[in-house]
Amino acid sequence: MSVPTTARRIRYGSATYDLVVEFLYTEAELLDERRHEEWLALLTGDVRYVMPVRVTTAHTLEGSTLPSMAHFDEDRYSLEKRVARFATEHAWAEDPPSRTRRYVTNVRCYEGPGDDELTVKSNLLLFRSRGDLYEHDLLSAVRTDLLRRDGDELRLARRDILIDESVLRTQNLAVFL
Amino acid sequence: MNLGDVLADVRRGMIPASVYSDPELFELEKRRVFGRAWVHLAHESEIPEPGDYVVRRIVDDSFIVSRDEDGQVRVLLNMCLHRGMQVCRSEIGNASHFRCPYHAWTYKNSGELVGVPFHKDAYGGEDGLRRKGVTLMPAPRVDTYAGLIFASLDEHAQDLADYLGGFRFYLDFYLGQSADGAEVHGPQRFRVKANWKIGAENFAGDTYHTPHTHASVVDIDLFSAPKAAKRKEGALYFAGAGGGTTYKLPTQDFRENLRFIGYPDEMIDVMGSTWDAQHRAMVGDAGFMPSAATALPNLSFVHNWPVVDREGLVVPFISIRQWQPVSATETEVLSWFAVDKNAPQWYKDASYKAYLMCFGSSGMFEQDDVENWTSITQMARGQMAERLNLHSRMGLTRDGEPVTPEIDWPAPGRAYTGFSEHNQRSLLGLWCDLLDDAPDAQVDPAETPAARIATLH
Repeated sequence: MSVPTTARRIRYGSATYDLVVEFLYTEAELLDERRHEEWLALLTGDVRYVMPVRVTTAHTLEGSTLPSMAHFDEDRYSLEKRVARFATEHAWAEDPPSRTRRYVTNVRCYEGPGDDELTVKSNLLLFRSRGDLYEHDLLSAVRTDLLRRDGDELRLARRDILIDESVLRTQNLAVFL
Repeated sequence: MNLGDVLADVRRGMIPASVYSDPELFELEKRRVFGRAWVHLAHESEIPEPGDYVVRRIVDDSFIVSRDEDGQVRVLLNMCLHRGMQVCRSEIGNASHFRCPYHAWTYKNSGELVGVPFHKDAYGGEDGLRRKGVTLMPAPRVDTYAGLIFASLDEHAQDLADYLGGFRFYLDFYLGQSADGAEVHGPQRFRVKANWKIGAENFAGDTYHTPHTHASVVDIDLFSAPKAAKRKEGALYFAGAGGGTTYKLPTQDFRENLRFIGYPDEMIDVMGSTWDAQHRAMVGDAGFMPSAATALPNLSFVHNWPVVDREGLVVPFISIRQWQPVSATETEVLSWFAVDKNAPQWYKDASYKAYLMCFGSSGMFEQDDVENWTSITQMARGQMAERLNLHSRMGLTRDGEPVTPEIDWPAPGRAYTGFSEHNQRSLLGLWCDLLDDAPDAQVDPAETPAARIATLH
């Protein structure tokens, strides 16, 4: 998914821009606080959540993702399973849980593609610390989101996560970006 | 470290914990295990067209795995013959030539040296520096099985077919479901602070961990089979370079058993006509289906069948995975998704989804595995750990007799049902044989590629 080339930019400081930023901050807070059920409620029924595998390629960053492999390629069913797993007593990968903090910046907001839709790019830095032995992990990415209006609220209909590492330096993706 | 004592302990199934953390032992493993064994690099379907390449490592050696203009697979050390610069610094692509960024020495994708700037002015032409017949250093031995491209750094390694031995039979379940074989996608790559052997051992035979480590995926109804009672009915086989686990299927019928784990009839028809009688008997009459497996040193496989949607559709997936050592205490995991080339598109899509939910960087099985492996590795660094021999004798009584006897097995190798660590001991036994007090990888100085290249001056 990319920003439509003809898309009208929504200016910083406008009411819509504020609504989008508020949505992203709320979402990050829910994930940092591991309120995953509430996070799921922010997603549409037909949500897609994709994080392609990034590779080192010659000359250009164009095509620096594998075409047929992702770290995440999720729909509502698989996201619900992941969330349900955290609630079991046997999800060792996040028990004890990581301490995470999501830093959401550089929010760029566009009209469309649909009448009731917004395309939003944001940078994400995810700080993840587990236990007391190792240094923290940092995951850096740009996210391209498709947000859909639902009355006065926004819902996440699609997220494409372009991760900035070809080899992840975090031992699993038991966290959402 | 006294290597002889360590190997003797490992061979009797009492593993000194430090084998999972000792840097001195790791240096030996580099030379004697990874310097001698056949190591997997890539699958042919990753480089289908002339000029396609991927860059892969054997520990610290970077290789370009390319398909040359004649369609031949080449495994070339990614190191310029002039100053040692990497000639290819992307990890995937298509190229007719590789040009060193330093002084622009240029090689065809077959490895052949074709360009040396100012060849006449600087070197006096062919008289001073031979180009003709000179190539990037090829891996000493290269061979393939079921599309898997392997290399050995040991010129005198036994042939790949002999090295794999009976394990080849089991590879056909993963990568030979039709005559055209599998296509692989990926890999996902991620680093874990764990010793490379722990994953290798786990996939070779650890059905004992499934009921507890993976309880969460049963709790959420993603998978029903890892229940303890179910897992111990599976056979654990070991043949040639590796071994693996199986699940016991509900009937004695080939088709019904494959349907049970989610294969569509059109794929079952093809498997039935592609596999030989022995494969069919294992799945049909005997009713065993391979799940996880490992071939020495660090190549593993997994085959499972989760529920992929709300309607309860069960679909199998296959993953190839490699435990690429970074150090004694860190491993890069490469995890591929594999699917039969001739499978219907809906199946490929559903199987991919099944893979992503279960294994790889975000997989719900894999996450919990890695949690164990990093913790073991960290504990193995301690001084007290140097005094601890880990108990790896499951399936043996104190006097060394099997707790349950070998079963009658319709396929290569020997097999047991019930929980045991026979396979892990067999795998580490092979590891011991490689490490044992023998000379390092046999290199005949007159015959090495390095010697041939040395004629360049």
